[in-house]
Amino acid sequence: MFFRPILLVLRIPAAILFLSPVDRVLANEKGWQTNKEWHRRLTEDLLTPLLHQVSRQDRAAFRDLYRQSAAKLTGVLTRMLRDRTEVEDALQDVFVRVWQRAAQFDGTRGEGMSWLVAIARNVALDRLRARPEARGYAHVTARSDAPEADPIAQLPASGPDAEGQMLAQADARRVVDCFGELEPDRATAVRGAYLQGLSYQQLAERHEVPLNTIRTWLRRSLLRLKECLDR
Amino acid sequence: MSDPTLPPDAGPEEHDELLAAEYVLGTLPGEDRRAARERAEVDGAFAARISAWEDRLAPLNDGYDEAPAPDLLPQIEARLFGARTPAPRLRWFSLGWRGGALATAAIAAVVFLAVTLWPPGPAPVVLRADLTAEQIELRFAARWDGAAGLLELTRAQGDAAPAGQDYELWLIDETGVPRSLGLLRDPVTQVRAVLAPGLTLAVSLEPEGGSPEATPTGPVLAAAALDEA
Repeated sequence: MFFRPILLVLRIPAAILFLSPVDRVLANEKGWQTNKEWHRRLTEDLLTPLLHQVSRQDRAAFRDLYRQSAAKLTGVLTRMLRDRTEVEDALQDVFVRVWQRAAQFDGTRGEGMSWLVAIARNVALDRLRARPEARGYAHVTARSDAPEADPIAQLPASGPDAEGQMLAQADARRVVDCFGELEPDRATAVRGAYLQGLSYQQLAERHEVPLNTIRTWLRRSLLRLKECLDR
Repeated sequence: MSDPTLPPDAGPEEHDELLAAEYVLGTLPGEDRRAARERAEVDGAFAARISAWEDRLAPLNDGYDEAPAPDLLPQIEARLFGARTPAPRLRWFSLGWRGGALATAAIAAVVFLAVTLWPPGPAPVVLRADLTAEQIELRFAARWDGAAGLLELTRAQGDAAPAGQDYELWLIDETGVPRSLGLLRDPVTQVRAVLAPGLTLAVSLEPEGGSPEATPTGPVLAAAALDEA
């Protein structure tokens, strides 16, 4: 009875502590899309100093970094690997690499999250290209977007339109514009390769064109994107 | 030259540019992917092309939705730091320590040894190091019991330090800065310490009572990296 008021007093600041700065700002924001954009910007702002701290072997900062970025990186790995067990293994690999390579993070060049996503994509791609079907032994799923029993496959697989909308909100209008200059099916192929880690073989089957054709598509599209983005 | 997937006027520049783009896009088959990564490690210009493509395509990252993340921090920390290493003072491998190591020229070679012997797995419970002097007949066997947190040094060969001098034991982590763990006067010395594989132990000859400085002042007689028993 005597202690109860004290506990109540203590509980309030504790509850605030559990909210990250991002969440605290988000609590005041309205609307899903605004939230997403705000969350992205704020997370970016927080991640860069955290990465610098991690490069100085700051373990507390490393834990913060995990809490701030694991959801996004899990999203990346899930989209590419589509296997929960492998996603968990890969997420560990990602953070081991992050700790070991944080000193290589160049805060002047890009944002913290871009650096982290690049590591996650590399881990996922290494695993995808090491899979037996990638070596040509067996082809398990011709269309990796086909519905699967694994609930992980039910996660939002945003189509080109949804992605286009999200890109438009971000300060990536130029990329949207440059993708808009490509033929629609080629833009879809480039996006599918990047976001899902599709191989040339998978892209060829999906778009029902020969392997060399898809490779030609992608290479020409990449050169056009570069020309447009560097303009 | 007759690759039909390349633009007809593609030169070596364009070839590299496309290779870097395909690496970042992720479409390269396994072997080509490995080859490109290995090249990026030694070819700065090619690595810069890859970085530029990562920047160009980074806005696409907004297409990845967040997903509920499992809490894998315990497993990750166990892989990086070993199962039980609560010591905040121990620092681990990163590129950042190198400057410090080079500054300490006398022990740079020793630190190099520590890095080359670095095992990636979790810390084993028992670590050993064999500290054999090259110039004189002197050997210390070091054994660290992780469960007890106790490092035991046994003088397996040679005598105690000459009169007016002492052997001093040092721990060198990847910052390259030695930290004293005490004097080795007795045939067997026990020291409380939190250690890890790859850290280096060294013995120096110091004036009686130990080095007057924070680092060794006398010659380093023996050094060895701690390794799994």
